[in-house]
Amino acid sequence: MTFQKRTPKKRFFQRRKVCRFCADSTLEINYKDAKELRSFITERGKIIPRRITGTCAKHQRVLSTAIKQARTIALLPYVGKLS
Amino acid sequence: MRMYETIFIADPDLQDESRNTLFEKFKGILGQEGGILANFDDWGNRKLAYEIARKSRGHYVCMTYGGTGPLVAELERTFRLDDKIMKYMTILLEKEIDPEALQLQIDAEATAKSEADAAKANADAEAAQSEKVAQAAEAEKVAETVEPVTQEDEEEEN
Repeated sequence: MTFQKRTPKKRFFQRRKVCRFCADSTLEINYKDAKELRSFITERGKIIPRRITGTCAKHQRVLSTAIKQARTIALLPYVGKLS
Repeated sequence: MRMYETIFIADPDLQDESRNTLFEKFKGILGQEGGILANFDDWGNRKLAYEIARKSRGHYVCMTYGGTGPLVAELERTFRLDDKIMKYMTILLEKEIDPEALQLQIDAEATAKSEADAAKANADAEAAQSEKVAQAAEAEKVAETVEPVTQEDEEEEN
């Protein structure tokens, strides 16, 4: 992540992250697309919070359902192995 | 009628024949219970994200169909009874659909697909023909370009 120095008081502002699915409306969240969903889970298999990825609330809700569905049908791991 | 999507993982070590009879059985249940099969997508053998029944691979099949609650219940009951099915999941896609509209859509897709196939075959034939023409033209060009070179060579030799 890039940090920008704005004030002399050494305060850091993070660049505002944009929801990937809002920016590109052609992107669809599909539980069958495990490759796409992998970028939203950690190596351990946990869902990455939206404060990190910048996904909006609406899409994060859809995303979390999709990830959980993909886990059920063994497209994504419940517990990932650390490489 | 509702629109459902069922993904099930079949045993990867099955022979093609027994696998096909297995799939036909499920399709038969769909027909019996008044379901309309919209799409039968065979993904083939895939690696599983975690082991199921000590197997790291599975044969994925994705079915999209219109049906009712009892149909899903019956389908899942047979999945549970059959030990060749390792795992299954059913998802509700749409709550209200018109069966006739769905049938029409399936038919339209089927005709579109056959038309597309025919068009593709035609295009392939045309492409092959034009390729031949292009090849012939290229051969001529090559012959033309080769000639001057040989002349130059002769000059050098002289």
